Amino acid sequence: MKKFIKRFVKVRNTTEHFRQSEHYKKRDIVSAFGFLTPALILAILFIVLPIILAITYGFTDYYLLKPNDKEFIGLENFKRMITDEVLIQSFMNTIKFVVFVVPLQLSMALGLALIVNKKIKGVGFFRTAYFSPAVLSLVVISILWTVMLNPTSGLINELLENVGISKQPFLSSASQAMYTIIAISAWSGCGYQMMIFLAGLKNIDGSLYEAADIDGANAFQKFLFITIPTLKPILMFLVITTTIQAFKLIVQPMVMTGGGPDNSTITILQYIYEYGFRHRNIGYASAVTLVFTIFLVVISIIIKKLFREEKTA
Amino acid sequence: MKIVKKTLFYILASLVALQFLLPLIWMILSSFKIDEVIYKDIDTIFAFVPKFSDLSFDSYVELLGFYNIFKNVGNSLIYASVTVVVGLTINSLAGYALARFKFPFKDWILIFIIALMIVPIEATILPLFLVVNEMGLINTIPGYLLPFIINVMNIFLFRQHFLSFPGELIESGKIDGLSEVGCFFRIVMPSSLNMYITVGILTFLASWNDFLWPVMALSNADLMPIQVALNAVFADKYNIFTSHMMAALTIVTIPIVILYIIFQKYIVEGSMQSGIK
Repeated sequence: MKKFIKRFVKVRNTTEHFRQSEHYKKRDIVSAFGFLTPALILAILFIVLPIILAITYGFTDYYLLKPNDKEFIGLENFKRMITDEVLIQSFMNTIKFVVFVVPLQLSMALGLALIVNKKIKGVGFFRTAYFSPAVLSLVVISILWTVMLNPTSGLINELLENVGISKQPFLSSASQAMYTIIAISAWSGCGYQMMIFLAGLKNIDGSLYEAADIDGANAFQKFLFITIPTLKPILMFLVITTTIQAFKLIVQPMVMTGGGPDNSTITILQYIYEYGFRHRNIGYASAVTLVFTIFLVVISIIIKKLFREEKTA
Repeated sequence: MKIVKKTLFYILASLVALQFLLPLIWMILSSFKIDEVIYKDIDTIFAFVPKFSDLSFDSYVELLGFYNIFKNVGNSLIYASVTVVVGLTINSLAGYALARFKFPFKDWILIFIIALMIVPIEATILPLFLVVNEMGLINTIPGYLLPFIINVMNIFLFRQHFLSFPGELIESGKIDGLSEVGCFFRIVMPSSLNMYITVGILTFLASWNDFLWPVMALSNADLMPIQVALNAVFADKYNIFTSHMMAALTIVTIPIVILYIIFQKYIVEGSMQSGIK
């Protein structure tokens, strides 16, 4: 909360119209509330109310098919979470996804940005090509890859056989499915981050490289001592947004594997969906929602804090 | 030496490009083949290079014969357009009020907006479903659209944008007899067109690509947006031909490709502002 206020005061001070002591004009008040009301009503109904409901229902045994018989059961739902093996697995799956996809996707994106940051003929074509998977929706990507990864007649396995590698089960094997989803997610998402890295690379002062050339630095040294440090703010921004996004993984496993095989690809968000929406067990799903939401908020605050320290260092 | 280096660069860049393009080429090409040809070509170069004698529109005709996919594409276009038009209006009005007027509780409303920005919407999607359900709006278009009309991030972006809007322009509008609302729609909105396009495109894409919320909020097949309908068709995967599926994927991809070609500049700019995906 203190951080909020601090950040808020900074925001407020940028308001040129703001003066504490001046009294309000009636016309301004009427206009302002007229302009604000639709947004405020929608925000209260569809953002605040859900949060309040998640908090209250999390402490009950509310079951959607018996709405009149919900009882306050205290911390029972939260106790159950600790021993819920599928929930723990879905949490570990989500962590696994985040830990692998963030570095993979960002290093792919940086590599691509370095390739297309050349003043050379035809570079526009490469830029468009690398960006092209980002145009597809996640559902289209998931379906396309599921078809291509078909264990018996899919494109990828046929190509693998052509180069002498035996057919792989990919999505139908508990040990491979999550890694397959990680690879496909990185493939589809890295185009966006490439564009953002590229904007950062374009801002690097060319004279830095010239100076390094004079000092006899090689390409790797230039990359390590000039490119990386200048890209740091952008890198941290991308780490934060990609990490938070990755925690909310659901579409790919929902379409490609349905969470299987053997719950090897079920994620937290999907677990909440299954329990609350499919099985109508609102009380328990609300409790999980609550913990997950707090977890995400804490994670983003921690990463932002690291970001701030990095920046001042 | 320089030529060798250049050649190496082009080879490397092209190999990387193939890795991104081949799946898309295969998708489009396969949509113009019948299944037998797809599987006959699958381990040859013809999987990726058109052999014109084998191509036909059969799979499109057959797909549309048993499933009218354009109905769902149309639904999605309408939903996304409504979300953009209504959403931009409501959110920018709120942003404008917070940037320009002096009124009581302004600080508190601003704190409120900023606080809501850090709550991940997807994480609270289940309680959102409960609220819409309580309102009796599940399986209705308003129930599907209303929750995502409001976007606190966009309110904040608009506010930041309007903070630097020249006050003289608005004053001159008022002297000419425009009301506050008139000034907004006739002066502020048209002169912030770039901002509106950028935010609008991102809103459109988010709405078009949305999956989880429509799955929960709309189960009526006639109302389904395209992403949900695609998955429903695909879920029946043992009864659908690969060529039909690829035709469906291609149809869904075309409107977005057109959008990208027209608005490329704004999409990249906008992604940097909000860091989506």
